[in-house]
Amino acid sequence: MMDERTILLVLPILVLQFALMIFALVDLIKNPNPNGPKWMWAAIIVLLNIIGPILYFVIGRRNY
Amino acid sequence: MKQFSTLLLKEWRENLRNYKIFWIPVVFILLGVTEPLSNYYLPQILDATGGLPDGAVIELPDPEPEQLLVAVMGQFQLIGMLVLVLAYMGSIAGERRNGTATLLYVRPLSYASYFLSKWLMASIVALISVWAGFLAGYYYTAVLFSAVPFGEFLAFAVTYSLWMVLVVSLVLFASAAMPNAGLAAGLTLTVLLVLQLVDGLFGSRWKWSPLKLPNYAASFLDIGPDATALIWTLAISLVCLIALAALGIWFSKRNRAKTKV
Repeated sequence: MMDERTILLVLPILVLQFALMIFALVDLIKNPNPNGPKWMWAAIIVLLNIIGPILYFVIGRRNY
Repeated sequence: MKQFSTLLLKEWRENLRNYKIFWIPVVFILLGVTEPLSNYYLPQILDATGGLPDGAVIELPDPEPEQLLVAVMGQFQLIGMLVLVLAYMGSIAGERRNGTATLLYVRPLSYASYFLSKWLMASIVALISVWAGFLAGYYYTAVLFSAVPFGEFLAFAVTYSLWMVLVVSLVLFASAAMPNAGLAAGLTLTVLLVLQLVDGLFGSRWKWSPLKLPNYAASFLDIGPDATALIWTLAISLVCLIALAALGIWFSKRNRAKTKV
């Protein structure tokens, strides 16, 4: 099903998604006062692709 | 000038530490890559979701590479702009609440440097994001389908960049004028939506409007926009840019009394 070409084409997307997730998780761990419980944000970041980290950075980070 | 570079350094550190300079470009790249990829795999996607009955034969025409880039721009117009507005809605209004403003405003601060340093940093992040996203989309389109002439692509991306800078200026102006970040985002999105609606309904009556920048950008990939209309649109956009910056500086000075101490 997944031939080599497909994997090569999709790999950058997976790497970027993973990077986004790592950025969000590192920030969450360092954040002393997120907008809501930490475990909830960790779940959102890990379970929702792309949208989860964006939601965390926009709503959960409390940078305003 | 010294104050401006100091404030710019502060903005740079802030964008680095809250990861905005990383995550916003990543979101734009993902938007840019997804469009050509999902078009390329459309037959397999249709197959996997099993929507077609046995024996049905549909011929999917290969999408034009120009159409794909315009579709990427459509994604930026929706999700990209939303992300930028939400990311920068608090850049001035938020500082008044979280205490940064107290530290800054007790000093003899030039509000022009203050506003413009924020504007420059936000514009840099927006431009990096837009270009990274477009280049990723261009690359994938070229690999999977065929390449758009690079000159046309450059004109397209440059014109669209000006529109994004205009959007960033609007966000920062709203952030300076409004008492909190949520209202700033609300104001920006309402203005953008209403103006785009008006331009969509009655836009055929005029050719010069900053709102037509994305359209003109897209038409660079086709036959190219009308030169005089484009020049006037660029001139009016520049005037809007300067007006928004001037109003932003004025409001950030006037609203300093709203700072929470």
